[in-house]
Order: sequence, then C-alpha cells, then structure tokens
Amino acid sequence: MITVEHNPALFKEGEQVKVSEKFPIGHYRVPTYLRGKTVTIAKNLGRHINPEEEAFGKNAGNELWYYQVIIAQKDLWKEYLGSKDDTLEIEVFENWLEPIK
Amino acid sequence: MSTENLVKHLPNDIGGAGCSDDKVNIFERDLYPWEKRCHALLDVLDYHKIVNTEEKRRGTENIGSEMVGKLSYYEKWIVSASNLLMQKGILTPDDIAVKTKEVAARFNVVL
Amino acid sequence: MSENHDHSHDHNDGHHHDHTPITIDETPGYYEILEISIRELLIARGLIGADEVTKQIEVLDSRSPVLGSKLVVKAWLEPDFKDRLLKDGNAAAEEMGITIYDNTAFTVLEDTPELHNVIVCTLCSCYPRPILGLPPDWYKSKEYRSRTVKEPRAVLAEFGTLIPEDVKVQVQDSTASQRYMVLPLRPAGTENFTQEQLESLVTRDTMIGVTIPKINNN
Repeated sequence: MITVEHNPALFKEGEQVKVSEKFPIGHYRVPTYLRGKTVTIAKNLGRHINPEEEAFGKNAGNELWYYQVIIAQKDLWKEYLGSKDDTLEIEVFENWLEPIK
Repeated sequence: MSTENLVKHLPNDIGGAGCSDDKVNIFERDLYPWEKRCHALLDVLDYHKIVNTEEKRRGTENIGSEMVGKLSYYEKWIVSASNLLMQKGILTPDDIAVKTKEVAARFNVVL
Repeated sequence: MSENHDHSHDHNDGHHHDHTPITIDETPGYYEILEISIRELLIARGLIGADEVTKQIEVLDSRSPVLGSKLVVKAWLEPDFKDRLLKDGNAAAEEMGITIYDNTAFTVLEDTPELHNVIVCTLCSCYPRPILGLPPDWYKSKEYRSRTVKEPRAVLAEFGTLIPEDVKVQVQDSTASQRYMVLPLRPAGTENFTQEQLESLVTRDTMIGVTIPKINNN
C-alpha cells in the first residue's frame, strides 16, 4: 500500500539539527538553555498542536511534528562536572529545529 | 538597564539557572483540601476544553516574576484559571468580586 | 491565615476513600475563597457539573506510586510485558486497569547497567500523575528544576544516590505530552523475592530516578 504524506516530518532519527535562536513572547516550551545548540533526533514523537498556540486556546486544527532530541551534557554546559558520556533528552517541536547547513 | 529580558525570558524558564548552593529541600506534604479541589477543577476545565492545560501553564507564567516567586504552586493555578476565565468572557471581574465577598462572609472572613 | 506554602507539618493521615461532600475545616484563606468562588460560579452557569470536581478528586486519589511499582515488578518478572510497557506505556497501563485520563503519552525509560535515567520538568511540573499520583513538593521546586538538568549527579547525591562514573546518567526534561517513569534495574540478590517484596523495593523516588531500589531500606 502506498501512503502519501502531505505533511512529512522534516527530520529523521539520527539526524543532527540545530535548535533555533529566537525569542517568542507570551509562551514557549523550549528552555533558553537549549537555544542554539546542536542536538540529534532520537525519536519522532508524532504530531501535536503547537503548544505555543494551544496556550492561546487552539484546541484543534493543524498539528506540528515533534521530536525527542538528545545532546551530550558536555556539549550543553560550559562546565559540566559529571561523566563525559552523560546526556540530556528533551522534546522539541519542528518549528524550533533547523537543518545543519 | 534593559528590561527586554523581562519580556523575552519567562520566569519559569529556570533550567540551568541554579547553583550547587541551592540544595534541594527534600520536603513534601499532602495537599490541603482546597488545593486538591483546585487541581481537580483544572483537570475538569481541561477535559471540557474550557481552559486547557497549556493555557493554564501560560497563566501561571504571565503573572510576572514577583507573583511567580511569591505565590505557591496551587495559588498560581487558581489565579491562572480566574484570569483565563475572565479573558474568555466567561466570568467578569465583578462576578468574582461579588462572589468572593459572599463566600468570605459565609466564613466570617473580611477580604 | 493565608494558606502558607511554608507549612512544614505533614497531613500524614493516609488516603481516605470516603465519599463525604467537600468540607472545609479551617477558616479559608484568600486563595481558597477564590477556588470556592470560581467553582461555584462555573457550576451555577452550567459550565461544569455539580459533582465533577468530587469525581475527579476520586480519580486523583486512586493513583499512587503503588501502581507504578506494580508495573515495574511485572516488567521485571515478565519480559513480554516489559516489551509492551516500553513500546506503548498507555496500552500496558490499560492492561492493568489504569486509564491514562489526560491525553498524555505514558513513556517508560529503562535503566540498564550502563544507563541511569532521571526525570525533571524544568518549565513546570510534568509528571506521570495518572500512574504515580501527585508529585512531591521538591520535584516542583526551583532548586530541583533549575539544577537537575545541569548537575544531575550532584542532585542525586543529595538524595543519597551515587551513580558510578562508568554508568551514563541521562536527564529527561519533560516539555511536551510525554510523561515519563523510570523502570529501575532489579537489584541483585532478589532472585527469591516474592512479588510483594519486590514491589516494596520500588518506591516513588526510584521511578523518578533520584534513588535506586535498595534491599536493606526501611
């Protein structure tokens, strides 16, 4: 069976992407500590209403892909004191991720 | 001094901001009955999509850093719910003024 | 007379499952008066039913870490269930009669000998409430939320937990609709434990990831 996806996910598991540096006001779910960082897509989590819009009453309609992304702690914090292999995972919506050029 | 960070940076966005001196106070208590009722109320409002959970979260963030710092967890929830219900035109400020006065009188409390 | 969140005495009277109406014992503070007012206004306007809040309180009271410990031990004892639990937490919970009532995706994170998971919500207090019940105050505190992402091992040490250097610590910051629970490693020396004995090892804190199951506790 052929499935035709009119709104395919932009990123694949294992792909490296950059978290955008931008400044919404009103509501956001991407912590400042993650902005501008290079992360790897760990898992495609499917689609969901953009929480930034959900926070203003959007309960139905178009949904965005979102992903579990992973980053090494030593790449996230300037002075990470734990083990060099420690990691952090976090969920990020597609409107916050950019391909690495 | 620029105030723009007050606009751009939400007061709940604190990941990575703490230092090693800020020891975790490993404390917990049962909810007061009103807090449990408040939690259940917000669950019911989300179920009906009268106030959804993400709106409630925004309402606990947009009250400004002083209130975010000084109100307890559920105090922020009930203020958030109240503000959202007014923004949506479901309740008015006077509805709340009249009703809270009536409820307070039941308990001989003066607001 | 305000409902001061600095109260340090615990109301450790266990979970009552009586169905008495909502009662108020002490003089309410401002926020309780506001809560009563909002609820009564919404009921009077027909926006919510008169008993919906009471019914939801019963749902909240029915969830506790005991449920999580049952899922963990079943996963320890039955590899097929573990696979199902890791693949689709909501469906596995439903198998055990636990309904995820809030449209969240219950997601179980498996600890291995090489990996220890710890969960936080830096932005608010996301927590698998439909399974574990309500989170402890420290989980919602600014100290836990601000430090766990940056120095998890130091935070774990404050809970008495030291993870060896050669075991990776992975922090999970919950920001969307996934709700996480750790499936801790079964401790060595429990081969002959009964199901109940195993469940007693799986405390709430082991399912957040700030402690690990220990045989000689309590």
